[in-house]
Amino acid sequence: MNDDSRSRIMSKVRGSCAGNEAAVIDQAREALGSAPSAALPHTDTCIAFMTNVLRNQGTLDVAPDRSAAVKMIAQYVYQHYRSHRLVAGNDPRLAAMPWRDGGVLPRFGELEAGEQIALSYAQWGVAETGATVFLSGKHNPSRNNFLPEHHVVLVDADSLLPDLETLWQRVNASMAQGDRPRGINCVAGPSSTGDIEGQIVYGAHGPRAWHVVLLGEVSAEQSDTARALHAGE
Amino acid sequence: MEQHSQHFKENAARALADASAVAQRDILALFTPLMREAAVSEFGDFAALRDHVKKMRQHTLDNLDYYLARFELEATNNGNRIHYAETAEDMNSIVLDICQQHGARKVAKGKSMVTEETGLNDFLQRGGMEVLETDLGEYIVQQAGETPSHIVGPALHKTQQQIREQFLENHDLGERDLESIGDLVGEARTVLRDHFLEADVGIIGSNALIAENGYSMLVTNEGNGDLCANLPSVLIICTTLDRVLPRAEDATAIQRLLVRSATGQPQTCYTSFYSGPRRAQDADGPLETHIVLLDGQRTDILASDYSEMLRCIRCGSCLNHCPIFAATGGHSYGWVYPGPMGSVLTPLLTSLEASEALPNACTSCGRCEEVCPSAIPLPDMLRDLRHEQSVQKITPASWRNGLRLHAWIATRPRLYQALTGIGISLMHRLGGKKGGFSKLPLASGWTSKRDFPAPQGETFMRQYRRRSQSNER
Repeated sequence: MNDDSRSRIMSKVRGSCAGNEAAVIDQAREALGSAPSAALPHTDTCIAFMTNVLRNQGTLDVAPDRSAAVKMIAQYVYQHYRSHRLVAGNDPRLAAMPWRDGGVLPRFGELEAGEQIALSYAQWGVAETGATVFLSGKHNPSRNNFLPEHHVVLVDADSLLPDLETLWQRVNASMAQGDRPRGINCVAGPSSTGDIEGQIVYGAHGPRAWHVVLLGEVSAEQSDTARALHAGE
Repeated sequence: MEQHSQHFKENAARALADASAVAQRDILALFTPLMREAAVSEFGDFAALRDHVKKMRQHTLDNLDYYLARFELEATNNGNRIHYAETAEDMNSIVLDICQQHGARKVAKGKSMVTEETGLNDFLQRGGMEVLETDLGEYIVQQAGETPSHIVGPALHKTQQQIREQFLENHDLGERDLESIGDLVGEARTVLRDHFLEADVGIIGSNALIAENGYSMLVTNEGNGDLCANLPSVLIICTTLDRVLPRAEDATAIQRLLVRSATGQPQTCYTSFYSGPRRAQDADGPLETHIVLLDGQRTDILASDYSEMLRCIRCGSCLNHCPIFAATGGHSYGWVYPGPMGSVLTPLLTSLEASEALPNACTSCGRCEEVCPSAIPLPDMLRDLRHEQSVQKITPASWRNGLRLHAWIATRPRLYQALTGIGISLMHRLGGKKGGFSKLPLASGWTSKRDFPAPQGETFMRQYRRRSQSNER
């Protein structure tokens, strides 16, 4: 850090500020309250999440248990690559999946160039944005979220959050225990671009496809409602 | 970036002479406001969100010393190295030094208007670096040797056909059709993939710096920014000190406003928050991270009557709604920031003299302020800049004298009404039969494109008085 530049800049900034005490500033900030969040497509968090995943051009499977999830992942991988190979992060939850039930052959670790499919286990799903959230770390290499052609994401139905404020409450609670992840990646769709004549094309630099497998107790009615809400657009 | 704002009128005339480019801009000017409008109406209470963000941004600027110091502390604790750059040249030198310290050769760059401002690419290339823009629009523009025409869609001025020819000429990939936009996107993806994997240094910008935890927010659709942030062993975040926000939830509020205002999406594909370098327990990530904070006149703006301009979140909404931008295109403005926000920022970041035409490139329609997510009073600022230009005698003498004469007459109501009465009556008599004038002294700018309608014969005030008197009877 160049101390002279810093001093001069800070001095100029201070010259334009009121120089209030921290307590006064904090009080003024708290008085501003919170921003309103976006209206959800449904009052049920799970339905809202699924609807927004579909609106984000994601594809969606709902699996009642881990065995069903593995079979659905196997089917997705085979459908696209006539293969049962994929790369999964070193997440213990992924390691504990009954892969034999689907005949899937995961390689655990970081995605290497040329490998097509990565599977990640999302920490949370956010209904407001339809995003799956990943905290980078030992179990979750960030490159697996951005480098594959197809990104398959497992997310637990009981880890769905209504909005971004709730997401940050969870992240802040985790940080309060000393865990400050290097990266927090909110993934809400396959990568896209509108840079040529404003026409949207999927598969810019990140994954061309984003497939979400929602794991847990989700009723057929919830699933149907989400698909109907999406189709009704 | 080299500035050509002084040639705005010539640039605009050239832009207007290209009929196909005009048609393309017309379509975008029709289409982009509709996208925003749809996203805003779906949100719910967008006005309350806008009001909250305006107050929160202003609170941050009013206490920037506090939040900047807090950000610096937290980001340093996260393992970042913080650099302060007073000028564009300082930022460029700091970045080149970091690259050279690591023996870097290849740099992968995400979209950053700040580095466009400082001309970082040219500087690094002169320093021996191979620098490749990885945002598709920026890549196209860089390859063409051009500059961005829009702060969100840098290559929206180019047609699919132009880009196809450019790729066929520049990519040594043999015979291929490249018939669709999807083909073009796919080719850029293939070409840039190796660069991501081989780059020694990644450079990105930042949409927000969070004081309470030292994180930097990155909002993208393509995923290129995240590849730059995660793959190379060194990451450099180039940004400005006014990007600081108090809390993560404030960044979230910006996120909600930004994407709806910029592209009409409810959210972008990727919203990421990065704290610093790889930790011992991490599977991947850069080994070293640097945050370069540019002042570049921001502290002067903070101290000026234009400090509200620092609330700008670079969404480009004011560009998309500006009739001047739609007509003339971004390149006419002759620097990094076009449209209404550029017409305010460019004079403040460069000089009033070099940007003389920009505050005048305004119809005072007020759409920019209406759609600005930070509720920046852009038309007022443009008027104030015009006033300053007049006071400093930068405005041409003929224009200033004309305005002075107009003010002298307009502040004498009887004289004003008498003179306008004579003028209106005369014009009615001369042009009444034809209904308009194809030529008119002092109004050739108008009559060269269309007829000037002949007045009905009486001024408003005279009609008003006559009707009032007849009503009294």
